[in-house]
Amino acid sequence: METIWQDVRFGVRMLIKHRIATIVCVVALGLGIGANTAIFSLAEAFLLHPVPFENSDRIVALVDSHVASQDSGAGFGPQDLNAVAPATYLDWIKEVHSFDDLAAYAWDEVNLTGDREAQKVQDFKVTANFFPMIGVQPLLGRTFLPEEEEPGRNQEIILSYGLWEQRYASDPNVLKRVIKVDGKSFNIVGVMKKGFDFPMPAEAWIPLALDVKERLRRDNRWLWVLGRLRPGVTFAEGAAEMQAISERQAEIYPDTNKAWRLQPQPLRQFITGTLTRQYTVLLMVAVGFVLLIACADVANVQFARITGRTSEFAVRTALGGSRWRVVRQLLIESIMLSLVGAALGLFLAQWDIQMILAHMPPDVARFVAGWKTIRLDRNAFLFALVIAVFSGVISGIAPSLLGSRASIAETLKEGGRGSSVSRTRHRLRGALVVAEVALALVLLVGAGLMVKGFQGLLNVNESYAPQTLLTFNYSLPEVQYAPAAARLNFSEQIMRRLGSVSGVQAASMVTYVPYADGGGINEREFSIEGRPLTQRGATRTAIVETVAPNYFNTLNIALRDGRLLSDTDGAESPQAAVISESLARRYFSGENPLGRHIKDGKVEAEGKWMTVVGVVNDVRYSWIVKDDVPTIYRSFRQAPPFYTTVVLRTAGDPLKFVSAARAEIAAVDANLPLYNIKPMDKVITESIVGIAYVATMMAVLGAIALVLASVGVFGVMSYSVSERTHEIGIRMSMGAQTGNVLALVLRSGMLLTVLGLAIGLPAAFLLARALSSLLYGVQAADPAAFIGLPLLLFAVAGIACYLPARRAAHLDPLRALRHD
Amino acid sequence: MEPLIQLRNLEKVVEAGPNKFFLLRRINLDIQQGEFVTIMGPSGAGKSTLLSIIGMLDGAWSGDYFFLGEAVHKLNVKKRNELHKANIGFVFQSYHLIDNLTVFENLEVPLSYKNVPHKERVSLVCDALDRFHIVGKKDLFPNQLSGGQQQLVGVARAVILSPKLILADEPTGNLHSAQGEEIMELFKKLNDAGTTIIQVTHSERNASYGHRIIQLKDGWVVSETATAGARATVSHPA
Repeated sequence: METIWQDVRFGVRMLIKHRIATIVCVVALGLGIGANTAIFSLAEAFLLHPVPFENSDRIVALVDSHVASQDSGAGFGPQDLNAVAPATYLDWIKEVHSFDDLAAYAWDEVNLTGDREAQKVQDFKVTANFFPMIGVQPLLGRTFLPEEEEPGRNQEIILSYGLWEQRYASDPNVLKRVIKVDGKSFNIVGVMKKGFDFPMPAEAWIPLALDVKERLRRDNRWLWVLGRLRPGVTFAEGAAEMQAISERQAEIYPDTNKAWRLQPQPLRQFITGTLTRQYTVLLMVAVGFVLLIACADVANVQFARITGRTSEFAVRTALGGSRWRVVRQLLIESIMLSLVGAALGLFLAQWDIQMILAHMPPDVARFVAGWKTIRLDRNAFLFALVIAVFSGVISGIAPSLLGSRASIAETLKEGGRGSSVSRTRHRLRGALVVAEVALALVLLVGAGLMVKGFQGLLNVNESYAPQTLLTFNYSLPEVQYAPAAARLNFSEQIMRRLGSVSGVQAASMVTYVPYADGGGINEREFSIEGRPLTQRGATRTAIVETVAPNYFNTLNIALRDGRLLSDTDGAESPQAAVISESLARRYFSGENPLGRHIKDGKVEAEGKWMTVVGVVNDVRYSWIVKDDVPTIYRSFRQAPPFYTTVVLRTAGDPLKFVSAARAEIAAVDANLPLYNIKPMDKVITESIVGIAYVATMMAVLGAIALVLASVGVFGVMSYSVSERTHEIGIRMSMGAQTGNVLALVLRSGMLLTVLGLAIGLPAAFLLARALSSLLYGVQAADPAAFIGLPLLLFAVAGIACYLPARRAAHLDPLRALRHD
Repeated sequence: MEPLIQLRNLEKVVEAGPNKFFLLRRINLDIQQGEFVTIMGPSGAGKSTLLSIIGMLDGAWSGDYFFLGEAVHKLNVKKRNELHKANIGFVFQSYHLIDNLTVFENLEVPLSYKNVPHKERVSLVCDALDRFHIVGKKDLFPNQLSGGQQQLVGVARAVILSPKLILADEPTGNLHSAQGEEIMELFKKLNDAGTTIIQVTHSERNASYGHRIIQLKDGWVVSETATAGARATVSHPA
């Protein structure tokens, strides 16, 4: 132990002595370790702590996936996961043995009124066993009772801590209150603990009550089911049993279940989501590359330092030091460098995390599982320590082993040189530079593609000038607006009122604006008259939008064929629909869709057939889905909606019209809360904020990789020039001109760069293929990325080679000849 | 008394492509305990190579080498290193002190490699500083010392573990004559105290401090000559 302390003391002295080299290494390792620690903190939050309660390991999400989406999935990209139908869930409860409890929840939104100003709240309908199953107790009151699952008796609500704090000022007597939820009286029976918002982003919970009709439905998939594995049952066993049950159901109910396959997932995996996991892994790989490049830089610096210390190691060996002691001395120095780098890295990681947290819009953050747990915690410190030691070892091991291998007898002789070790060292240093360039190219291409893809996402929406669009939502309470006429009357009034506000160029409405809900797409089944589905269980799906007729003009969606919806498409007129080009292409290929009849839902569903009157351009709805999504538009006059998004085209800043819009709507219904009030460009940027983060981080990592790789090339070439000074002196004395010396040095440096590029290009292409399935607008064979970025790297490496080459070319031949 | 060193048919060959070059040829040599032997010869004769082999720094040779009766040629690297660590001290022409260690720390180095406990280490270093009259220099770094002082530290470092054998490769080569004489007197004293010394030198004057001169040429031992009190001269064919 004491001898280790001696080595540490000596190491400190050596690091101080070679200050410049130490600073270069510490900065390189600090960047690498800092980036890794920051991404580790994100990964820890997203992958390990995505749910706000303990012991989630035994909870399994029982979700369905459409067979078609599974077959088309390439294994990389978003995964299509769906809820299940109530009858399916109830069958499972009867049949399953591997799970000791199954609970269900459903997304819901309610308006709170009565006691304070109207507020829209994100709630979840949950079964009574939901909270006991996940093992969560309320802070105040109780959870739901089984009898409260009865329709008509489900008039209880549990508040989240945040809602209790914000709306009821943390009133300890809140449990005695009766509040209005969508116009009905509800008792507050509980308040959950601080931070509990599961399923995200719950603000309240109400009992899930299924009526008799609903309990029999197998086609309406809206329940998300969680199961708790019995003690001793593994996930694989539970999943296998559930899949067997699901397959039996598919045989019995082919019309509704044949096209679906159960995809049980551990709760953490389900909550994190495929995309978050894939992007997190992508970033982890990217920061891993940066760390490897930094380690290669440090290894090169260590090689240079060790070369100057060959005689020291020989003396140590001659004095009885074993090879291991010499290696240990060097490794300790290397690990000390890494530890100092880790200290710097922790500061950088803390700064990174602050930047990441500060720039995430709260409206988005509340949907990101694990976001609240992002911090530099004890695990992050431990991680930084572990990768510091790892970096110290991998950057120091080769130089240490080679440094300790030099021929002692040869080295201790006057003017002796260990030439074979020196050649190995040269080869290794060259290999490190090649690896650095290759890794940097992969990162640069990855970053370039991400940035380009992100830019493409922004550009694709420019056609509807989102900067001057104001959007907001409302949900009409079911009790008050049950008659279609009431909803129509409300919609007509607000369209008229909002349209007359000074500065509003057009007032329109649509069910979902593009990029709403973070880019999630709400497709529904539809039918085509006279064309039954040939395969049992197959479906036709499309986004079904209920719009005001001027919606197309407001968003600059061009007409391709037929006509747009008009004000004459009223409640009493024949039902009309406009379809998107992608729908026409997919379902009316080679025929004219105009005049054909389609229906929202199955053929036998209630509702009238709609006549296709026009075809319009496609609108991109999501950054997740790369293909155009078939869309059906119908008029709000023929299907007055409960839920809608109002879209106002304004002259200038849309936010200036918020108060006027509130006043106009309050004049029609004072109790109706408006929410998601945002300019359209904010809707888009919030939807793609995740990808913006990834693109920004990749761009920063790419830039760091470029700098580190060029530092590596510069370091190796500088060292090579100083090693070859004597040789260069001889060449100059024999007539070599400045150009010859320049070429001599540049050639060797650029050869390494070209080798690195040649190795990096195929690896970058593989990465590009993976990215192209992740992001719209990314092509695996992107010429800009595969020509421009290698050229950039080549140019930067060229500058890094040129500087030492110029120094070599300007050497004084006489002094060079005297150089030892 | 058993000889300290016995070399039998010792050869050292290096290969360069298809060619073989003999650095040492059929060396047969006995060195008794307490002897002060000088190896001389022109450049390239194999003097330093022989010293490295005797010092067990070089393991790539053929022949038999016995050190205090122990067959060095049969030992693995680890055991050879142990034998070297326990019995041999080195003094180099270029002193080879470690630049970034103080005099005190340089003297500590061989002790730490022998895992001598801290207290004992300090005590041994203090004794050495005292013995070689360099107490005042203990906190200085090598570049703050003159050449003679550095070599004094080099010798102190070589003897700090009381080795049976000191190997000195041109120990005065970088020193002016007065300093060189001082170092040679030191060697003489150490030898008088029982330490066996083998030195490589070009200097006749330095050679005169020893008992025997071994002349090497082209890897062969060409002669062995006794110095003061010499009784025999043995010649070998070149």
